[in-house]
Amino acid sequence: MNPGIEGKAYPPVSFRVDPDRVRAFRACVGVAEGVPPTFATAAEFTVFPTVIADPELDLDLRRVVHGSQEYVYARPLEEGETLTVRTRIESIRMRAGSGFLTLVTQLEATDGAVVCTARALLIERGEP
Amino acid sequence: MRPDVEPGQELPTLTRRITREDVRAYAEASGDRNPLHLDDDVARAAGFDGVIAHGMLTMGHLSACVLGWAGPGARVERISAQFRAPVPVGRSVVAGGRVRAVEGDLVTLEAWVRLEGEDVWAVRKGEVVVRLSSPDDDRPSTSPGSHRSSGR
Repeated sequence: MNPGIEGKAYPPVSFRVDPDRVRAFRACVGVAEGVPPTFATAAEFTVFPTVIADPELDLDLRRVVHGSQEYVYARPLEEGETLTVRTRIESIRMRAGSGFLTLVTQLEATDGAVVCTARALLIERGEP
Repeated sequence: MRPDVEPGQELPTLTRRITREDVRAYAEASGDRNPLHLDDDVARAAGFDGVIAHGMLTMGHLSACVLGWAGPGARVERISAQFRAPVPVGRSVVAGGRVRAVEGDLVTLEAWVRLEGEDVWAVRKGEVVVRLSSPDDDRPSTSPGSHRSSGR
């Protein structure tokens, strides 16, 4: 992992809160109604493949584990709405041979208001 | 404010078994198709005995535990989790939590997920802030400034 690209922002991507997909997600996690609070992961994963494959970041996916995750909502996501997904590298820390990558993703409504802020910590474990 | 909710209260635990099919369905619904969750050979090369569940599926189960307790109309305003141990497919996980603070309809909880029958934590230091739906609130949505006083 290359700690030199802290702060890098990835191109924004459009994400629709598709009702069929929300229904499937609810069934997966066992939430009865509404858009589940962890559904924002689907928005993150419109950008994460780009991050993971970014040659500048130089991440070895085979050694990556998910360390922690946070979602903060200004309001719940609404089925059918389209959001703009903006992901940036908040920080990269190297410790004891492992790399700690924090990605912040903001989900913006059409009026530009941030509806949800997601923070993902990915850990690239050191070579065995 | 719900009169039955007070700091220290334990949530009923919620147990589910996570199957290979569950993980496959979650990969589709979430878009996280990391082969670590789908291909035993890849998982073994990464040092696991076989495919493991997405941490986010475990976190989803934690949210189901909290929302099942909170009842219809509840909204999660913040949720966070630390993933501490992998959940191999075929295993059962138990989610639980405890009320830490209550402020009107806003409840802060600590929550966790562990492997059933073992002292192994899949999620520790989970935190959830959930706004409960007031029984005396006839509107589906409320903002902090629009709350009726609980003294009515």
